[in-house]
Amino acid sequence: MVLEVTAKDNKGKVYKEVKSYYPIGIDLDGYMRYGAWQIKEMIDLTLQPKTIQNEQVVFEFDKDVKSADVTVNVYYYISGKKGDRIYTASKQLSFE
Amino acid sequence: MKKRILMVTMVFLLLPALAYAKVANTIDELVQMYDDSKCKECHPQVYEEWQQSYHAKAVVNSLKGMRNFYAIGVPKEWERKLTKTEVLKCLDCHAPAVRYASEELAVKIAKMIVEAKDTKDEARREELKKELGKLNVGCLSCHNIKALSISRGLLGDPEPGTIYTSHMIISPAHKTEPVNTLDKSLFCAQCHGRYTAPDGEQIMCNTLSGSYYNNYVSRGGAETCQDCHMKKKNRGHRFPGGHDLEIVKEGIGFEAEIQGVRHTVGKWIPRAIIRVALENKAGHRIPDG
Repeated sequence: MVLEVTAKDNKGKVYKEVKSYYPIGIDLDGYMRYGAWQIKEMIDLTLQPKTIQNEQVVFEFDKDVKSADVTVNVYYYISGKKGDRIYTASKQLSFE
Repeated sequence: MKKRILMVTMVFLLLPALAYAKVANTIDELVQMYDDSKCKECHPQVYEEWQQSYHAKAVVNSLKGMRNFYAIGVPKEWERKLTKTEVLKCLDCHAPAVRYASEELAVKIAKMIVEAKDTKDEARREELKKELGKLNVGCLSCHNIKALSISRGLLGDPEPGTIYTSHMIISPAHKTEPVNTLDKSLFCAQCHGRYTAPDGEQIMCNTLSGSYYNNYVSRGGAETCQDCHMKKKNRGHRFPGGHDLEIVKEGIGFEAEIQGVRHTVGKWIPRAIIRVALENKAGHRIPDG
């Protein structure tokens, strides 16, 4: 699962921060693996049940920026290739 | 009506005759031994739900991972011969009926899986997928083959021809045995969790059951796999999960606050401050396999 936060200022400059949530399968020698038969340990970077994961992102714009469009997207990946956007939120910020 | 009575009678006569003791030498023999199409005659809605499920395509939808185990894991990494014991490390969950395949058939199925993934011949690939599509997690996989496995010490092995259910409705079409295993999370955890092969090998296809017990139940969670993936919203035997965006969204709460501020007194630098809360409302980690 991926949380992607982007901002585009009135000068066209894009700011982006991405946070991913996923389990990493580890083999007996400590290497990341995809094969189910190879995986004997895991590093858990997922969202845990009955918990709320709070994230904060701060974008610092150039001093003369007048406005910025900020968008938050959450994508769910059923596989590495197929991701669906499940949530989105956006807001235009004015600094004038 | 007469036709229906005849069908029910045929089902009644056929099911007890399932020769579980014998081993199948062809896929068609195996399918005949565990013929789910008989179930459709009396349970059309359940059958239709199941047909939409990933259980119904548990082999053809997972060809890549199994192909890698059979073509790389066993022969190249472990330097072992492909045998039924190795084949079952995938198929005991993806197609439990393969337990009753002959040694030769089990190995043949594994080779078909490898070929279905590797062949460049599209017609051949479709032919193989059609044949492999006959294998899946069918009605009898749960309602017989694996019905008692979570408490084998107490309950023993499933009786050939008996349909084990989680309710008390007795059918005239087959011998029915209500059991209190099928509605437990542990029943699903047989496959949707760390799998221990008969030779002791640990296969971590997914680890849902670990996070369910250790991070959900331990925090006061009381719902079972069946509560969310079957009973809620009459999901029934579709068992929707990660492939279904409705249940995915149901399991993840989302809130975002976006603020603009002129920061640093005197310099007044424009900043965006974004706060996001993602709540895992499911009974297990998100995501998982």
